[in-house]
Amino acid sequence: MLRPVINWIFVISLTMGLLMIAIMAADTVPNSGGLAHPEHAGMQVGDDGAERLDSIGVFAFLFQSLLLSLVVCLSILGVSERRRSPQLLALMGASLIFMLFVWWQMYSGHQAYLATGETGYFMGFPTATAWQVYGTWLGAIPLILIYSIGFRKYIYTKEDEAAFNKLLMETRAKNAAAKESR
Amino acid sequence: MEAFRQEIIVGAVVAYMAFCVLTGLWAMKRTQSSSDFFIAGRGLGPIVVALALFSSTLSGFGFVGGPGLVYSIGVSSFWMVVISSTGYAIGFFLVAKRIRMIAELRDCLSLPDVVAARYNSEAVRFLIAITIVLGVMGYLATQILAMAVVMQAILSGTTMFSDIGLVTCVFISSTVLIFYCVTGGIIASVYTDVVQGAIMMIAGTLILFTATSVFDGGMQEATSIILADDGETMMPFGAAGIMASLGWFFVFGLGLAGQPHLITKMMMNRSMTDNRKILPMSLLGYVMAALLWISIGVVMRAAVIDGVIPPLDQPDDAASVFLSVFANPLLAGIVFAGLFAAIMSTSDAFLNIGTAAIIHDIPKAVRGHSLNNELFWARVVTVILALVAASFALYSHFQDATLVALLGAFGWGTFAASIFPVVAVGLNWQGATVAGAVTAISAALIINFVVQLAGIALPHGISGPLVAFVTSMILFIGVSLLTRKPDLPADIDQVLNL
Repeated sequence: MLRPVINWIFVISLTMGLLMIAIMAADTVPNSGGLAHPEHAGMQVGDDGAERLDSIGVFAFLFQSLLLSLVVCLSILGVSERRRSPQLLALMGASLIFMLFVWWQMYSGHQAYLATGETGYFMGFPTATAWQVYGTWLGAIPLILIYSIGFRKYIYTKEDEAAFNKLLMETRAKNAAAKESR
Repeated sequence: MEAFRQEIIVGAVVAYMAFCVLTGLWAMKRTQSSSDFFIAGRGLGPIVVALALFSSTLSGFGFVGGPGLVYSIGVSSFWMVVISSTGYAIGFFLVAKRIRMIAELRDCLSLPDVVAARYNSEAVRFLIAITIVLGVMGYLATQILAMAVVMQAILSGTTMFSDIGLVTCVFISSTVLIFYCVTGGIIASVYTDVVQGAIMMIAGTLILFTATSVFDGGMQEATSIILADDGETMMPFGAAGIMASLGWFFVFGLGLAGQPHLITKMMMNRSMTDNRKILPMSLLGYVMAALLWISIGVVMRAAVIDGVIPPLDQPDDAASVFLSVFANPLLAGIVFAGLFAAIMSTSDAFLNIGTAAIIHDIPKAVRGHSLNNELFWARVVTVILALVAASFALYSHFQDATLVALLGAFGWGTFAASIFPVVAVGLNWQGATVAGAVTAISAALIINFVVQLAGIALPHGISGPLVAFVTSMILFIGVSLLTRKPDLPADIDQVLNL
């Protein structure tokens, strides 16, 4: 029943909707969306991170994991059904695993900081933030490589191009004939 | 050189505006039809499309509001930037190929044209066109206001124009914008976008080097100062919290494929196979330009906390204060020109799609055919649209910001929620129905309107656009699955199978 990818997209979207409702219904704390900085006007602070993640942390983690799955499912939807080979699905699956790995490193790195108050640094940013800055950006690079390198294999093959050009010529001939008969 | 800082900045901005006017004159000769005016006759090369695509993505908001947001809420706003790779990937996988195919097959001039062909429905065309017009008004008004405010800040620093008023600045900046958009249509827009994009890339890269030299310990010292002040601000979800951050990932990431001014550009390339080059080039350009967003914001917050500079009057001053305190005058000149470039490249794209919606799509949806002499009316409506938006901008500044704020609600988030499912999913799924499309668009508009009008603050930093987006996705697919599978025209059915 769930074989067509659109069904997966629907189930993921629906689950994300339910998670959002659960998050909205969860206990809230004054700093959940930030507080004014005690000294500098125009700045906000997050204050106690553990406190504000306490009631929604797991839901939020699942929400993002589903969102990353949605990104990959949508990418698969963008490939013609005939081109969704086991190889493509394996590449997409590997992309998803990579994105989930980055997300887990970011989330667990943040949790570790909240527990210890200590962090290492990588290329100018605290480790968890470095996973966000560099990791999130790099996380979708496999998708871009699949698109650009696999363009002629998955996205727009030579047969697709020939079929489209044929369709275009037929349509133009039909339109020209209709115009003439008018 | 420091003594001539203001003159150098004014010179750079004047040179940039002169270039826009000259491009308009050059493009006028190449604009012979409404197809040239709206989609450049589908004859653009990959570099032009790539630069036009990314420069339209990063508006004045990215150059002014972006650093301001980092100053204000820290890493939370990074999410709007780091999702660019995901956003562009989704946009190309879902939209680039089929929108270009349908545009060529059906001689489409606009996004609503493509949607009407896909769904075989004038109702869907009408709804998308109305959404675009409302969104364009809000976006354009805020862009024109931002352009005038920056111009006033620059010119008031010189002796000659020290008393220049905001109205005069709105007049000058709008005149340049209107001139090249009216004379050269989208051809002028995309070729100015190329230079605008190049300026933005140079500005972003140079600013990164300047920002990392503000503190002896580079970026790590800046982030350490912020972390010591408030750990959460420098952690992955920033001051605004996890759901605000993930909401931006959703709305800015997936939502990129629902922005009409961006996906319309995917109809303009000469060859479909260019898409494989356009995607990485657009992403590279965006990343280079967006370095400015992150680096200025981090350094300015750290500099204020560390007492290097006094606190800013408002967060949006972060970029201009950084340029006046830390940047070489030449770099400041390039970045200010880049700022105008960012604002104008987005504004011209909006002017173009707004005009197409008014003179081409709404008449077609209502009367069954578009206006006669479309090229003439396109030029007239471009002027009117810009004048109305400029009036909105001034009214908002001097009288009441509610109207523009309301229209501003039809910004990125509303486009994302109402257009993404219908276009990005609909172009790849034959089961999508008119009922699904109408329900999704209506729900997205209503949710965004209600949240904005009623000033509803959702818990845990969840935003109205996120709720609208998730809801419209569920409704679009759900209603389509429940309604009868449509009988698509043979050519569209074939395109959806390719």
